[in-house]
Amino acid sequence: MDFVDKGNRTTLIISRVVSYIFLIFVTILSLFSFYLLIINATRSNAQLQAGFTLLPREHFLDNLVTAWNDTSIFFLPQGMLNSFIVAACTCILTSYFSAMTAYGICVYDFKGRNVAHKFIILIMMIPTQVSALGFVQLVNSLGLTNTYWPLIIPTIAAPATYFYMKQYIDSTLPLEIVEAARVDGSNEFRTYNFICLPILKPALAVQMIFAFVASWNNFFTPALILDKKELYTLPIMLSIVRSRINSQAGDMGEVYMIILLAIVPVVVVYLFLSKFIIGGVTLGSVKG
Amino acid sequence: MSSTTSTAPAKHKSISYAKWGYLFIAPFFIIYITCSLIPLLSTFYNSLFENYMDGLKQIGPNFVGLDNFVKLFTPRSDGRLEILNYTINTMVMWIMGAVPQVVFALLLAVIFTSERLKIKGQTFFKTVIYMPNLIMASAFAMLFFQIFSSVGPINQIITASGGDVFMFFDKEWSTRSIIAFINFLMWFGNTTILLMAGIMGIDQSLFEAASIDGATSTQVFFKITIPLLMPIIIYVVITALIGGLQMFDVPQIITAGSGRPNNTTKTLVMALNSYIGTSKNYGMAGAVSFVLFVITGILSFIVFRSTEPKKEGKKK
Amino acid sequence: MKKRIMAVLLAAASVVAVAGCSNSGSGSSNSTTTTAATAAADNGGAAAADTTAGGGDAAPAAAGSDEGNVFNIYAWNEEFKGFFEKYMPGYDAGAATLNGVPVKWTINPSDDGVYQDKLDAALQAQASASADDKVDMFLAEADYILKYTDSDYTMDISQIGLSQVDTEYTYTVQAASDSNGKIKGVSFQCCPSALIYRRSIAKEVIGSDDPADVQAALDSWDKYDAVAAKAKDLGYYMHASFAETYRVFSNNATSAWVTNGELTIPDVVDKWTEQAKSYYDKGYILDTLPGVWDDGKTAQMFADGKSMCFFGPAWYFNFCMGNAQDPDKGCYGDWAICEGPQAHFWGGTWILAATGTDNPSLVADVMRAFTENEEVCENLVKNEGQFSNNKTVNAKFANDPDFGNAFLGNQNDTAVFSEMTDNIVWANATIYDQLCNEKYQEFIKDYINGTVDKNTALANFYGYINEKYPAVVTP
Repeated sequence: MDFVDKGNRTTLIISRVVSYIFLIFVTILSLFSFYLLIINATRSNAQLQAGFTLLPREHFLDNLVTAWNDTSIFFLPQGMLNSFIVAACTCILTSYFSAMTAYGICVYDFKGRNVAHKFIILIMMIPTQVSALGFVQLVNSLGLTNTYWPLIIPTIAAPATYFYMKQYIDSTLPLEIVEAARVDGSNEFRTYNFICLPILKPALAVQMIFAFVASWNNFFTPALILDKKELYTLPIMLSIVRSRINSQAGDMGEVYMIILLAIVPVVVVYLFLSKFIIGGVTLGSVKG
Repeated sequence: MSSTTSTAPAKHKSISYAKWGYLFIAPFFIIYITCSLIPLLSTFYNSLFENYMDGLKQIGPNFVGLDNFVKLFTPRSDGRLEILNYTINTMVMWIMGAVPQVVFALLLAVIFTSERLKIKGQTFFKTVIYMPNLIMASAFAMLFFQIFSSVGPINQIITASGGDVFMFFDKEWSTRSIIAFINFLMWFGNTTILLMAGIMGIDQSLFEAASIDGATSTQVFFKITIPLLMPIIIYVVITALIGGLQMFDVPQIITAGSGRPNNTTKTLVMALNSYIGTSKNYGMAGAVSFVLFVITGILSFIVFRSTEPKKEGKKK
Repeated sequence: MKKRIMAVLLAAASVVAVAGCSNSGSGSSNSTTTTAATAAADNGGAAAADTTAGGGDAAPAAAGSDEGNVFNIYAWNEEFKGFFEKYMPGYDAGAATLNGVPVKWTINPSDDGVYQDKLDAALQAQASASADDKVDMFLAEADYILKYTDSDYTMDISQIGLSQVDTEYTYTVQAASDSNGKIKGVSFQCCPSALIYRRSIAKEVIGSDDPADVQAALDSWDKYDAVAAKAKDLGYYMHASFAETYRVFSNNATSAWVTNGELTIPDVVDKWTEQAKSYYDKGYILDTLPGVWDDGKTAQMFADGKSMCFFGPAWYFNFCMGNAQDPDKGCYGDWAICEGPQAHFWGGTWILAATGTDNPSLVADVMRAFTENEEVCENLVKNEGQFSNNKTVNAKFANDPDFGNAFLGNQNDTAVFSEMTDNIVWANATIYDQLCNEKYQEFIKDYINGTVDKNTALANFYGYINEKYPAVVTP
């Protein structure tokens, strides 16, 4: 018995050491790109062309001023605001309505419920690019080019988010709560908004982060819909500045600065929402 | 586990709340039909027409039946069928990135959720591993293009240690590996978060019971964790697959849209983009979209088929 | 320090500009559109009354009378914008207005055809666009200018009161003409492209760095090959990029890329391919095969570069040789130019008037300023290192013994370029040239470095052209 315990302890120590080594490796893997981006944002175009270094240089402010004043992309802070408006609306709408759809299908028994579920599963894998052509024509015919509506409204129907919410509701939401609320005379809509949504917080937070990041970094759809400078989102601005590089007229320092500035807000949003995820994970285990 | 909770409540429902069900799912379907389904069908409809710009001259739209598809499936003079080539490229680069992505995510999820290991600083590690996902794909592609360029740091190290400059982007395997690596790096944190949430949802008493019965941790992992994680794993695989089929930014930027070397990194969406840009070739782009749609259909069928039976087995 | 102050001033200026934009945008956008629309209608009416044959609403109006409220210019980079803001007479930098009309630049990158896509969309929407959104003037490059001149989207310059002036170089006029010979625009630069060499390397390889001696040693491709072998023996590269000489061959084409809708590789391009392949195999050029714009090639223009020759026109110094131009980088002044094995041009920017412009007189003013106004042209040569499109001005500098470019060891580059202009040929342009030229270099690289055989590389190129240009039939 003693021997076995000892053996277990050694294997435990070994697996702990291995785990920490693996975690440190993964951490380095995750952070080195950030490190390089930050270092590169402190270097001038000439320094960047001369090769990589691991130490920061003195051009951080120069790059910031260049990026801030670059009129060919209109105005960088405006782009950050634009991106934020679109991403914030998207992440709220997509998580709220996906949860609502999943809730509708999990909680209510109605004719066609299974068909509806199967249908969403069926369409889940269709890449956005497949319908992009038709979508652009639709947007043109509705006169909605150069508005944010075509970027925001379609995210209400997000099959993959629905799928995740459905899985989560199935395993975490006790339907007794809904029943109890009904007994208390709560309206169905109220029950969803004020009783069930709070329980779904962790899942909502996960999907909100995913949606925010996806929208923030999306180049494909905005590039098809927007061609007014004042409306550009950050990825479009980045592509414009970046494309100057190929013709040698660009400033790599500026490019890295824009990338860095584009990352900051999304990191803040992530750190804010990640609290809910980690809290949510514990909540899941309590329920188990 | 999902099957038990979802079948149980059906018995409780005596008052009809059906209309609420319709009401709750209505926004999704209304928006889906207007913003996705109609555009999807019109895209397919486009594929039956010759419709493009020649310089500033509009050609068509002229109805041409299935001509665009015939063109797409005609091998070139040297016998290569490019649409098949693009499909293979997409799948190969996806698998090269997705396999390590899921393996890493599973390992991390197990490490984080293990009661025995009691890892310290979990919050830090969990927060950090998702962060690469916050960087734009195009920024990643740019950074890696520079890192591996002929004058980049990797080649500086190679030449400093006496080697010859290695042209990473002139070789098929290295270009593909770099593209796959970027995709892996961007997405493994995302997958880990999803799996972690899933593992934490598993009833802890199952693990305790298993360890009392003398199960090894490997046995626990394959006999308990994996089967119970199946719904989340399916979700992960499907979302990864969607991402894989849409692969565009990274190879587009790394190869400047050329799919070099020898068209081995050109993906389906890059081809789609190639048709839409410059000539607004809606006919051919529609045909490529349809092919992409069919491939998606086949793959989702395979994914669901290969995961369904296991689910049923669990029920018993 | 000076730079810092400039930046702060610019920052302040841009904040003001933004504030201005947002005011006019949100405050009274509706009312401005309506007034502009009525103005356009009036304009159209006036033109119709004039009934100048085929003139549309572009009848030359007395300056300022019925002209639009915004002067819209489309461009793909800031080069011309910089010249315009510095030298255009009547331009008020503080208010960003030309003769009182606000100037609005729309700059989109040329990569992936983004510039042309957005410009085309704007031109096609020209008729329905409100007066303030109409494109008035846009820029085009040699590789695709024909697409615009050969369409109804550009105006004959005679319609806005301009005519050909003989101080312009002939090929720049030919390039701006449609297939019927109607002149649709002007260029503000002339782009004879020279052989740019490193003096110190030439001294070692050829035995002299004097432009006359170097030219004598390199005035044919056979001689060029011989010197390349010698350079290799001495540990140098003849030129850096495998595509360095591409334009020397391709811009002397005897046949077009596309004739009657069919694509054929021009003989000269095939000849270039042979040269690139043999130079690669023999080790005359970098074995990493960087493209003309790649970092690997740019690095060869540093002090420790091992490449002797580069090819480029006057814009190349500022645009591509940034590092070599830095006096601290160690090879400033170690450069010189000569005509090289074959006269050719490379690039160039043309100014075109968009049909439907509501500011025709402003467009005419700009065109005149950058071709006929000697003061503007002199500034371009003197301050910007350009080779202007004005023979009189160029001759003045070419004959000035005191005029020299310090970067080229005080060689008078204007004199060299002036001599080359007579041998430039503009011929065989098609609307498909841009992608054909760019992508051929890219796809043939797989053949040059031995990844695939030539037929496969060509098939990849044809496949790409098929995707991009459905109207073109490939072999």
